[in-house]
Amino acid sequence: MGYYKSFVADIFLILFMKKSSLLIGVVICLAIAGCTSNTKQQEEKTVEADSANHPDTDAAVQHSHNYAANMYATVDVSPMDMTYYPVEYYKLNMAKQATGPLIVRVIYSRPHLNGRKLFTDILKYGEPWRLGANESTEIQFFRDVTIQGKKIKTGRYILYCIPNEKSWTIIFNSNLDTWGLHQDTTKDLFKFDAPVIKVDHHTEYFTIIFEKSDKGANMLAAWDEYEIKLPIDF
Amino acid sequence: MISAQTEETKLPPIDKSPMDMAYFPDNYPVLKIRDKAADNPVARVIYSRPQKAGRNIFGELVEYGTVWRMGANEATEIEFYQNVKIDGKKIQKGRYTLYAIVQQDKWTIIVNKDTDIWGAFKYDTKKDLLRTDVPVEKTIEINESLSMVFEKTMTGCNLVVAWDTIKVSLPISF
Repeated sequence: MGYYKSFVADIFLILFMKKSSLLIGVVICLAIAGCTSNTKQQEEKTVEADSANHPDTDAAVQHSHNYAANMYATVDVSPMDMTYYPVEYYKLNMAKQATGPLIVRVIYSRPHLNGRKLFTDILKYGEPWRLGANESTEIQFFRDVTIQGKKIKTGRYILYCIPNEKSWTIIFNSNLDTWGLHQDTTKDLFKFDAPVIKVDHHTEYFTIIFEKSDKGANMLAAWDEYEIKLPIDF
Repeated sequence: MISAQTEETKLPPIDKSPMDMAYFPDNYPVLKIRDKAADNPVARVIYSRPQKAGRNIFGELVEYGTVWRMGANEATEIEFYQNVKIDGKKIQKGRYTLYAIVQQDKWTIIVNKDTDIWGAFKYDTKKDLLRTDVPVEKTIEINESLSMVFEKTMTGCNLVVAWDTIKVSLPISF
C-alpha cells in the first residue's frame, strides 16, 4: 500500500492509537518529512545498483526517477515482493515446466538496512516484528503441510516473529489483511522456533525465499548477517 | 547461534518495478488495526509498478492493440473475497489475473482464470472469464509509476488504473 512512507504511516498509527493530539503527530511528521529528503538519494542509488544485475524487470528503465510522486498511490520505500515454492513457480507455470503443484507463496515488503545494524538499530530482542514492512507478511499454502509435527491447513495466514539472540520464534496468526503493527496475539495459531544462523555476508534488503529440502522446502529469511530457516514438510 | 561457512545462498535483488497492493475498502489493513474495518475486505489487487522514466508509455512502450500485463514481472492478480459483478457478469470469489488491451480511446480489461504466472507472455484466451471495455480518461498530472486504487461508488467500487497521463476505471458491483 503506497499511501505513506512506511515509517511515517507507522508513527501516525502509533500516535493515533495512543490518542495523542493530532498536533504532535503533525509536528513529528513534518520533521520526518524534512529528514527523508536526505535519505532518498541514497535509496535511489541502491535501487539503481541492485537493478543493474536483475534481468527480470523492464530493462529499458535506466534513469533516476522520482518514485514517490503520485496522486493515486505513493510508491513505498520498502517495496513489496512475493516468493513461491516451487521456486519461481510462475515461470515454470508459464513455460509449462512445473513438475509439481504450487505449494506455498509469501507476500512481504522488503525494508533495507540503509546504514543501520539489524540489532539493535532496527529490531530488539524479544520484541515482535512483522517479518517485513507495511502490511502484515502473508503466507498462503495451496495444500496442507506439516511444520515441526504440526499440521497446517491449506489457506492464508499472516506471519510475524519474535527475534532473540539464538533463535527466532515464527508465529502464524489468523488476523488476515492487516497492517503489520500491533499483532492480535489472541489470533495466534502456531509458534515455531528457528535457530539463528550467522552468515559471512550482509544482505541489505530483507529477503524471504524458499529452498528445496529433503522433506519439502525451507522458508529462508535473511537480513543483515543473519538467516533463519523454517522447514516445511509436504 | 550457528555459524555458517557454507556457500552463499543466492538471494533475489530488489525489483526495479516494486510490487504493491491495494484493497477495497481503501486502506483496509490500517482500518483493521484501528478496529474500523468490516470483517472482510471486498477486493485486493497485487501488481508491480513500472516507472515512466521519461518514456512515452501508451502507444509506444505499451503498444495499442496488444495484450499488456497491466503491471510488471509477475502477472497482476485480483482477489475477490466475495462474489461480485463486473459488466453484469457474476464473478465468483477467488483469485484471477488481470490483463488489458490498450487503445487510444478505450481499454479492454480482461479477467482471466490462469493465476500465478509471469506477465502476459503465455496469455491464454481460453481461460478468459470476461472482457469489458472501459473509456480512457486524461489526468491533469503525470503519474510516474503505474498506480491502482479502489474508489467507492454507489453500486460498489471502481478499480482505478493510472499511468502517465491516462486513467481508466473498472466498475465492480456487489
